[in-house]
Amino acid sequence: MTNNWMKKQRLLGYIFIGPSMLGVLLFFLIPALYSFGLMFTNYKFMNPNVEFVGLDNIIRLFKDPMFYLSLKNTAVFLLAVPVSIALGFVVAVVLNQKIYLKKLLRGLYFMPYITSGVAVAFVWMLLFHPTQGPINGMLRSIGIDNPPGWLSTTTSSMFAIDIIWVWFLLGYNMIIYLAALQEVSPELLEAAKIDGAKRGQILRKIIWPLVSPTTFLLLITGLIMTIKTFGIIQAITHGGPGNSTTILSLYVYQNAFRYYDMGYASTLSWALFIVILLITLVQWIGQKRWVHY
Amino acid sequence: MKKKAWFTGMASLVLIMGVLAGCSGNGNSNAGSEASPSANATASSGDPIQLTMWGGVPPESGPQAVVDAWNAEHPDIQVEYVRFVNDDEGNLKLDTAMMTGQDVDLFVNYTISQASKRVEAGLALDLSKFSDYNIDEKMGPDAKSFLIDGKYYGVPTTKSPFFVALNKDALDAAGLEVPKEWTWDELREYAKQLKQDGGYGFIQHTEPYVDPIDSVLAKEGYTKADGTSNLDHPLVKKWLETLNAMMAEDKSTPPLGEQLTSKMPVEQEFLSGKAPMLNIGAWLLRSSNNFTDFPRDFKIAFAPVPRLTDNAADYVTRGGLGDYISINAKSKHQEAAWEFLKWYADGGMAPMAAGGRLPASKDADQDAALESLLGDKADTYDVDSLMYVMFNNPAPTYVRSLPQEVMDARAQEYEKYFLGTQSADDTIAAMVKRHNEYLEQNQ
Repeated sequence: MTNNWMKKQRLLGYIFIGPSMLGVLLFFLIPALYSFGLMFTNYKFMNPNVEFVGLDNIIRLFKDPMFYLSLKNTAVFLLAVPVSIALGFVVAVVLNQKIYLKKLLRGLYFMPYITSGVAVAFVWMLLFHPTQGPINGMLRSIGIDNPPGWLSTTTSSMFAIDIIWVWFLLGYNMIIYLAALQEVSPELLEAAKIDGAKRGQILRKIIWPLVSPTTFLLLITGLIMTIKTFGIIQAITHGGPGNSTTILSLYVYQNAFRYYDMGYASTLSWALFIVILLITLVQWIGQKRWVHY
Repeated sequence: MKKKAWFTGMASLVLIMGVLAGCSGNGNSNAGSEASPSANATASSGDPIQLTMWGGVPPESGPQAVVDAWNAEHPDIQVEYVRFVNDDEGNLKLDTAMMTGQDVDLFVNYTISQASKRVEAGLALDLSKFSDYNIDEKMGPDAKSFLIDGKYYGVPTTKSPFFVALNKDALDAAGLEVPKEWTWDELREYAKQLKQDGGYGFIQHTEPYVDPIDSVLAKEGYTKADGTSNLDHPLVKKWLETLNAMMAEDKSTPPLGEQLTSKMPVEQEFLSGKAPMLNIGAWLLRSSNNFTDFPRDFKIAFAPVPRLTDNAADYVTRGGLGDYISINAKSKHQEAAWEFLKWYADGGMAPMAAGGRLPASKDADQDAALESLLGDKADTYDVDSLMYVMFNNPAPTYVRSLPQEVMDARAQEYEKYFLGTQSADDTIAAMVKRHNEYLEQNQ
């Protein structure tokens, strides 16, 4: 009797997740498998002649200097994530104290995250303008004669993008940290104080370890999100100047939707998947050393 | 209680089945409509035929007036204009719409490489099946550039000149003539003389930026006899070095890095009088006729695009014709689309002239089109030089046909050069290498 009831319950469960599983199946799993198949063809969108080309695309990938360059650019882009997490932590700690206009400041820091990407892109382009932009204007006024060209040189463009990205992620990281800081029990802090711990020690030895699961979460989601992003770069530089801001995800996009080269784009996106997987695995293994639950 | 759970389960099952049925039902109806185009056509004899035309020009800049005029005259064939933005996303949208069988009856190709892709996919109708319109005769010798595998898969409808727009007042003040043919060295001198404090003497739209190279290679061939890249042609280096000298030594043209990252609004710069020379194409007229957004107090004159080669006889210039309009090979109303297309090419497109698009057909009323082109602004243009770059320039023309991959690879390398991170020789070597790689992959 109970067994029967359990069975029914289970069936009911499947029925309830059915519709959403259907969505996952149709719009994620099947396309993913399909793109795996495409990897071994020379399929170009709109071109009816599709041939099986074996491992050609994979060999091309390993010989493609643009692939390595885009990997390097992606690595530089990812630097923004830890920097933004660190800044987010500092801002959250500051805003968690009793300070003036706290709520307004929290709101302001979170603004970038909910602002339209294209608007953000244009504002930053103006700010970064090498000769007329306010950033370089300020640098010149404090006595720096040759301020960086930001987005307009091949050497500095990726770092300029990093700055934008740090700014963009900051608000989100801060909000999550603020929530985590509420969870830190005041008794612990008080006990530490009574034992004579200084503010810096409390921060380093008590608060930071206590929010480490949050840091871990932010690191994983931040890296995955960053590695998949290309919209902001597409809007600001299109991967240029030269190819100095072509990150892997943008290179996938260009191959697929600019050159219609779906076979190679599929290969590249599986490479992207493997990169994400590796980064996540490394973190998962590494977390034992520094994440305290 | 048990009964209730059972009921909920059934209800959600029914829901899922409904969703599934919805999907398959859709599939069925698609297959049906594909299989019976003729039935559809006859059934609709009472109703007017609905045509959809996709183009990249904003409706208010002419296309809406064109289709309104046609619809008023032809109650039996009604045309609707859909705008796609002529960039990667826009073209992708058009291609997907056609691949998935949405109603696209006519579409405008803006480059020959896009047109060829669509021909390959079987989306563009071979127009040789219609014998009542001789494209060569109507459009003149420039139409030949639009043959794909020896056939017309569309009609090039508009005159599409590229030119250097000049601030005539500034030229007069400096005592310079409006050139009818010139070299890049001469342009460099002009730019030096016209340059004012803090400003530039010459600016360029990024679209025709690389045309000087294409002009050389369209004539000399993109590949050498042995099938390898010809991008190491000596004139390519000459272009790189001339332009670089203008940026770095003369400071008469903006450094490319600055232009790209600030997305310099070149039309605005030119029309506000800040820069006296602008390398651009016919679409400048869309802005220069718009005195509300671009007020201007000088006369515009036009010069052909300068050449790299010393010998004027070797020069081919980009342009000639443009707006290559095709009929969707899957369209149910090909005959009707063809009727519209002929009418459009032979003068129906006149309202498009306000945006700089003059009809190419010899049977179109050029005076009417010119009037619509210049409007009440005729006295703000040097009409003689405009007529020269539009109609009378004797230089033969070419249409850019290089694949996007090569265009991009080339642009990335010359950007590195103009930004100073790569020498001219390395740049050329890199361009050649990447072009060869492309050729190898796509032989």
